[in-house]
Amino acid sequence: MNEYILKTNRLSKKYHNKMALNKVSMAIKKGAIYGFIGQNGAGKSTLIRLITGLGNPTTGTFELFGENNERMIIEARKRIGTIIEGPALYPQMTAAENLEAHRLLKGIPGKDCVENTLALVGLQDTGKKKAKDFSLGMKQRLGLAIALLGDPEFLILDEPINGLDPMGVVEVRELLKKLNKEYGITILVSSHILSELHLLATHYGIIHNGELLEQLSAKELNEKCQQYLHIKVDNPTKATTIIESHLSTQEFEVMPDGIIKLFAYVDVPGKVSKVLTNEGLVIEEFMPKGEDLESFFSNRIGGVQHG
Amino acid sequence: MGNLMKTEWYKLRKDRSFRFLTWILIGIAVLFPLLEFDNGSSGLPTVKAYYLDNVLGVHANIVKLLPSILAGFFISSEYSMGTMKSIASSGNSRLRIYFAKLMIFSIGTIIISLILPIVMTGVSSIYFGFQDMPEWTFYLQTTGLIILYGAAFASIMAVFSILFTDSGKTIGFLLMFFIFVDWPLQVLAARVPFFEPILNHSIFKLVYDIIIVNRLESSDVLSLVVVPIVTFIAFGVIGSFIFQRKEIK
Repeated sequence: MNEYILKTNRLSKKYHNKMALNKVSMAIKKGAIYGFIGQNGAGKSTLIRLITGLGNPTTGTFELFGENNERMIIEARKRIGTIIEGPALYPQMTAAENLEAHRLLKGIPGKDCVENTLALVGLQDTGKKKAKDFSLGMKQRLGLAIALLGDPEFLILDEPINGLDPMGVVEVRELLKKLNKEYGITILVSSHILSELHLLATHYGIIHNGELLEQLSAKELNEKCQQYLHIKVDNPTKATTIIESHLSTQEFEVMPDGIIKLFAYVDVPGKVSKVLTNEGLVIEEFMPKGEDLESFFSNRIGGVQHG
Repeated sequence: MGNLMKTEWYKLRKDRSFRFLTWILIGIAVLFPLLEFDNGSSGLPTVKAYYLDNVLGVHANIVKLLPSILAGFFISSEYSMGTMKSIASSGNSRLRIYFAKLMIFSIGTIIISLILPIVMTGVSSIYFGFQDMPEWTFYLQTTGLIILYGAAFASIMAVFSILFTDSGKTIGFLLMFFIFVDWPLQVLAARVPFFEPILNHSIFKLVYDIIIVNRLESSDVLSLVVVPIVTFIAFGVIGSFIFQRKEIK
């Protein structure tokens, strides 16, 4: 059985003279929720467009469900659900009619799935209201319902929580988590709302200027974003002994320049400083530090992040 | 292909422009013949004469112009609504997607094109009497040809509809194109001898010969039948070729 749902191999896309995607090699494991992070114009949508067949790569290849032959990739796309650059809806149709059009397109037998999917996204009571009269949040939910129709194995969602109210964001997040955990659906989700991705993704890919800068798991990211106390004292060796003996922890790291990174007691820094000064150490620098997801992302792309 | 055809048919039935055009034409078909009751001394026309003058006399414009509106809303607006993206990523080849769209759009065009020949002829028979009806052979020949020319014009419209990704641009261009195309084609044919037989054997010229199908030589009737079929296939291939290479935005 193939371990990866999607694997790209030096995938590039050139528009006129601009490289929108530059030799991107990424891999999404079966069962992962892959958070795709990047600024506007970084290349997220370009990559999604290539995978979903809306454009052709300039160079490079990709495998979808282990298939790399063009004909088989087209066939494999029947196993995916998508929201690409916003929900694709027929404005003159009701929610049920929109789903019916997509049910016919996917060749799903029986009409039960229409009502069930509408209920899943909380749109079962929209009746004869046309999609054009829906709020942005309702449109997003309907787009998600269309993507979920036919029990896809792989969901590709480009900014799926855009326009949702806070409750809607929570509901969609919980729904995606449920789909991932209970049904084993692999999800590629791109978003510029980093805090939201942080609550959802099991893996991350950071893209900037068409290049994939880094891929890491949530565990690796959490380690990199760990909060700590930055301590500079006149005698680091003595300080570490005191921390071990008086604070009973070994969760620290001494940097080559003598700075101590203490990963414990982050929420009670006063206790640490009191112990160190009581033992006669001179504290030169003492502050809580650590990257959150946004600063981590900012640092990786080498500048200020713009949502 | 079956799923795509079912989807397109479902969308055509729900398409507002298609419904609007259908009802407008049915309204015209029912009401327009009533004007003949106001003719005074000349009296009521025969159904045969009415079919020639008022149905076949205007059908070329119906076939060329009204489906342009449908083309804009049924094909081009799929881009602006973003739904073309979900169709293209649905696991169907672009070739199948294009031909399913073309087939159903052609059916829509044919339905629009046949409303006057069928409904207006039927209604005028009720109004004017059944005594002098068009001959069945002539009636079936002309409606058959209207079907063929409707599909042929639809195949040209479909090419432009997938080139333009905006319904307004498509409708504007197609209306201007089909209103004014005859004049530059005639000028071109007059100046370039090579082009004259091509124009004479194109749907742009032959569509006006439907009304005289009963007076044509059998070889001319053959070209009247073959040309729209060849046009449909040729523009279908061109359109699918363009669509397969098109970046869908």
